[in-house]
Amino acid sequence: MKMITEVLIIGGGATGVGIARDLSWRGIPSILIEKGDFASGASGRNHGLLHSGGRYAVTDPGAARECMAENRILRKIAPHCIEETDGLFVSLPEDGFDYRERFLRACDEVGIQTALLSRDETLELEPELDPNLLSAVKVPDGSIDPFVLILENARDAEEHGAKILLHTEMTSLILDGDKIKEVGAKDLGGGEEYTIKASYIVNATGAWANQFLKLAGLQIGMALSKGSMLITNQRLTHHVINRCRPPSDGDIVVPNHTVSILGTTSVRLEEVENFEVTPHEVSLLIQETSKLVPAIQEARLIRAYAGIRPLFQSETKEDDRAISRGFVLIDHGERDGIKNLITITGGKLVTYRLMAEKTSDLLCKKMGMHTPCSTHLKALPKANRPTGLTEKLKQFSFERVETLCDCELTSRKEVEEFLKTDKLKDLQDILHRTRLAKGSCQGGFCVYRLLGVLHDLRRINGNSNEFLKKFLEERWKGIRPILWGPAVKEEELMEGIYKGIFNL
Amino acid sequence: MNPCILEPLKERMHFDLIVIGMGLSGLMAAKTATEIGQKTLIIGKGMGSLCLFSNTIDVLGQLPNGIKMKDGLSHWIKDYPGHPYAKVGVEKIENALSSFLSLFPPPYPFQTIDHRNCLLPTGAGTFRPTYLIPITMVGGSLIKEGQTLFVGFKGFKDFYAQYVADQLKCRGVTLPLPNTSYEMTAIALSRLMEIKSFRENIGQEIKKHLRHETQVGFPAFLGLNHPIQVKENLEEMMGAQVFEIPILPPSIPGKRIFNRFKEWLIQKGVTFSLGSSVSKVITKGKRCEGIEVFHPPVTTSFFADRFILATGRFIGGGLRADREKVFEPICHLPVHQPRSREDWFEKNFFAGHSQPIHQAGILTDLSLRPVNERGDQILENVWISGTILANHHCIDEKSREGIEIATGYMAAKQASGIST
Amino acid sequence: MKDGPMKKQSWPKKNVDVCIRCATCMAVCPVSRVTSKFPGPKQAGPGAERFRRMGEPSVDDWIDLCIGCHLCDMVCSSGVNISELNLLAKAKYLDEKGRPFRDWLLTHSYLYGWVGSFLSPFVNFLFRNSMIRWVGEAILKIDRRRKLPDYEPSTFRQWFKKHRSQVHQIKEGDHPPFKKKGKEGFEHHFMERKKVGYFYGCYMNTNEVDVGRATVQVLEVNGFEVILPLQKCCGIPMLGNGNFKGARKMACYNVPSLLKTIVSGSDIIFSSTSCGHMIKHEYSHLLSIPRADEVALHLFDIFEFLRNLKELNGLDTHFKELPLKAAYFAPCHLRALGIGLPALEILRLIPGLTLDNIEADCCGMGGTFGFKKEKYEISEEIGRDLAEVIDRLKPEIILSDCEGCRMQIRHLTGLKVSHPIQILRDALLPETKFTL
Repeated sequence: MKMITEVLIIGGGATGVGIARDLSWRGIPSILIEKGDFASGASGRNHGLLHSGGRYAVTDPGAARECMAENRILRKIAPHCIEETDGLFVSLPEDGFDYRERFLRACDEVGIQTALLSRDETLELEPELDPNLLSAVKVPDGSIDPFVLILENARDAEEHGAKILLHTEMTSLILDGDKIKEVGAKDLGGGEEYTIKASYIVNATGAWANQFLKLAGLQIGMALSKGSMLITNQRLTHHVINRCRPPSDGDIVVPNHTVSILGTTSVRLEEVENFEVTPHEVSLLIQETSKLVPAIQEARLIRAYAGIRPLFQSETKEDDRAISRGFVLIDHGERDGIKNLITITGGKLVTYRLMAEKTSDLLCKKMGMHTPCSTHLKALPKANRPTGLTEKLKQFSFERVETLCDCELTSRKEVEEFLKTDKLKDLQDILHRTRLAKGSCQGGFCVYRLLGVLHDLRRINGNSNEFLKKFLEERWKGIRPILWGPAVKEEELMEGIYKGIFNL
Repeated sequence: MNPCILEPLKERMHFDLIVIGMGLSGLMAAKTATEIGQKTLIIGKGMGSLCLFSNTIDVLGQLPNGIKMKDGLSHWIKDYPGHPYAKVGVEKIENALSSFLSLFPPPYPFQTIDHRNCLLPTGAGTFRPTYLIPITMVGGSLIKEGQTLFVGFKGFKDFYAQYVADQLKCRGVTLPLPNTSYEMTAIALSRLMEIKSFRENIGQEIKKHLRHETQVGFPAFLGLNHPIQVKENLEEMMGAQVFEIPILPPSIPGKRIFNRFKEWLIQKGVTFSLGSSVSKVITKGKRCEGIEVFHPPVTTSFFADRFILATGRFIGGGLRADREKVFEPICHLPVHQPRSREDWFEKNFFAGHSQPIHQAGILTDLSLRPVNERGDQILENVWISGTILANHHCIDEKSREGIEIATGYMAAKQASGIST
Repeated sequence: MKDGPMKKQSWPKKNVDVCIRCATCMAVCPVSRVTSKFPGPKQAGPGAERFRRMGEPSVDDWIDLCIGCHLCDMVCSSGVNISELNLLAKAKYLDEKGRPFRDWLLTHSYLYGWVGSFLSPFVNFLFRNSMIRWVGEAILKIDRRRKLPDYEPSTFRQWFKKHRSQVHQIKEGDHPPFKKKGKEGFEHHFMERKKVGYFYGCYMNTNEVDVGRATVQVLEVNGFEVILPLQKCCGIPMLGNGNFKGARKMACYNVPSLLKTIVSGSDIIFSSTSCGHMIKHEYSHLLSIPRADEVALHLFDIFEFLRNLKELNGLDTHFKELPLKAAYFAPCHLRALGIGLPALEILRLIPGLTLDNIEADCCGMGGTFGFKKEKYEISEEIGRDLAEVIDRLKPEIILSDCEGCRMQIRHLTGLKVSHPIQILRDALLPETKFTL
């Protein structure tokens, strides 16, 4: 099938989807293609922190300022994706006060509101913190659900005319002089092939930026940094807990829905795919984060995962944390002579909207248009929807309908709603869109049920056990690094069910 | 404590035998010992894996098709001399199974299909080999393409008729449950199935959906106390054979087994203490003298001449794992295990063979008394039974219940001094 | 000791992390077995706990349906304290929602029980009157189908006072004064211990006096002198209604009083397993009452006590033949005590007595649970399973150690229901003749 559009966006992460939304509000037609589902890369594999910018205030005031500004905007336009938890930068005895003083000054300079709390005040707020702490600085951190954020952006973009093709991989790129003439793509599900002609092409593939550029014979300087995280079975704190010292491994604990996320590490990688969380990272994260929250030593972990941060670099540096977490917008017309290609990469989840704005501004400039950005003013769809744990429990209590995921209280109804509205291609798509399989048993019960529902609704009819096995293998990657204590019991239960009762 | 207070007139009960663990192995051991005339205490927290995985009695499902169980076991024992079965021996395994069967007279008997493994359908639409099957599941061994109607229920989330039907090339139907919009649990449904009006309602509804099918497959919840009555009544109403299909936990058929043991043991005067977890054992040299049960804030001791440890694996609490090692928390017996945590699990979930950690467990001598890696006896009046034993892969072998029954039986015989 | 809402630090540890979602608890919960309104222990306890937040309003109104039987705790091989999680959540829910006057009435019978006794003919008449029960349902939301228990014309305490004065006339001075414990040996030890305290519980005191009579008589036959420490309601009705404050108040009265008896050298026995479980396990663990752990060490179920005597060859087993077909039902709180089924073991020594164990879980009464209009049907439905088993066994009499169970079984079957100690007394005393 042939398609023509103004802007072709490659990549369905926060940035790509944000650009589609931004352009749609400016009235510029676009098509977005994504080889997997939304948020398959770093957008869906981070610790879900709504940065206040505090983390960068000392090292990268520019990035910190951007974070703070976007933080304010997101609270307005996407309140249903955000929990306003606030964050604490906790000073432990071994940290002393030096960094805290620099931190307070830096925050002040970039406009991040802070409040200095005494030890007792801090413990009153968060009783699970190490009682030996010295003090804490409160900042406007929060937690954010990247999946909902991206889905709502996509929904808004589509409502305003953008077209989004998921599970569609770019297969070829035809250059014509100083322009990309057309792009070939293939639907990985149905097998349909597309030829897409677009006036402009945006490379928003994140860590895959160079893989894309290679097709055009280009390359940019980019480092891949793996960040690993652990998920606990329950929320340990209700504030984001940061260590008040220069950024390092295991310095953050983010409350997210029912769980806490312990992060992160930073390991340089050469390859975008096939990475895993190593035992060393697991030990390191527990060791470091438990200095902040001692209960982590005993807490049950339910999953380990990693994401890849694409970091732009002009020259190789040793420590990835020294490379700016700010984003880069490259006009390949200026840089390489390919006039209709733009690469946007780097940045953070919290600045996705700004990245989209700047990209769209550049596109407008190239098109000679003057329509201003409005995404910072327009709330996302369903922004007034009530959220939070209590709300979830309330819905469960009120409806008492079939709950597919007992751990995360995801109802069959919720899944069926998604099935009605979205063109879902595989199991993972549903898992991305709900809290299914994100709780204590990590889908041990509910994914089988989900497949059952799909059969019930005649959405699938083949050999579902292959899906089930594939899911269990995928799940295994996340749980294998954390198998001890109660998690081993859980593992024995799952093997007993799937290899035992079901003889898969 | 106030110095004036003297020791209370404390429970100092003495038994011939204390069985620790209330899974199938512990229950079997208590039954065997009681039959020999031992004054027995069975104590445990939970019902082992009975209510989770046990629907039928697996003995060695891994055997190639068509082999008589007895022959298969003989070969197996030769090939795997360290396996728990090798310690029990074919003859005693058979005796143990007979003893189990004697507890289940009609109307709820267990049977084999010609002393071989047979294949029964599961809730995932697969077949699994098993050995002793309750009469409510026999029909499952006969299913043919297109001949079976699978029945699921709206609001019951642990079984999906269409899922199973699609895998087995049959039809499935999902019925609404009368008078409820809420979700229902297996145990609630098993209770409702025993209520005549409810059952008849269901039966009539299914009959409308039957075309040429000769069998109807239900999730395994056809009653907790009178499954046969339920089954036969439904068959009469629908004119088709009814059978049960094992589903996600909890297992109703497993609870039937537990209840039957419980009833029998209490009737025979066994001291039955469900809900207490043994916090430690009192030992003197190589002898175990008693157990301590901590039920906050009170610690109670029970004493006995002999003990059977049947605490199961990780789920049962018999084995525990911290970040460094696998350990046995009650008797502190050495646990045979892979060298480090790195080696516990393979890179893949379906690795083609069992995960190495599942071979971990307690090593014993031929009489099931615990030994260390060198083979030295550790405790002389403690016997080990059930899945806590080392050197088996009960999940992959499909040998869980067989190991539990055989070693529970054997341990009790050994502990009672009646054995070769 | 401070009263008032409990501090987070003094709450028991919430063992939510160890739940592996295995659903074994779902196989035993009596409530979710009969109603889908209650999502079952796995979901209500460790499941919902992951969503509950301090400082936010309770939204789990179904938590009030947890009957508090502890069966889930007993089958959890991971050690999740499910019923405690439920109770804490229930307390929070009811603290916010407020408790109706009905709940106050049901949990404070210790305050007005004596009035009931004093005016028993009148009160009992009223309780039987269908009009009054209809009004009770309309105003108080106490289900009219539930018969309120009869009051006895005189209380156990009154009987005991009279009884003791009679006994003392005969036996005064018979007992050697309490001596210090000998060097070793329990027999020796027990020989010296002639007095035993009795926590009789308020229900027995006003409504089932013969249970107390039988307990005292059996202990006396076995050579013990029974003393009654000062006592109030154990507090379990309040705790069951999530009223920690009220329960603590009761506990704070009872603990020092019971300790006094213990310090003077006596163990304490109880004949109501609910009261017993409350004092022995909930006082120290859940309510953090100082020195409750010391009381717990010296507190025994009457049959547990008799079983210990038997182990020491000190139990009088000169039973006469009792040709009777009885069925025994073990109350949930007895099971939760973790002492096995001592009544069954002792009663089996009685010649002629056929005794079946009723294989059923939970009678459904749940203390005050079964009185409440909104819960009556659930209570009855749970009990129906029990009644069915009884129907198959066809006993002449049913025995159970808990007054709630007895009340429910009487209500559901119309059969005679006694405390097992009454049967034991009948088999032991030459002058009593058992009549159905």
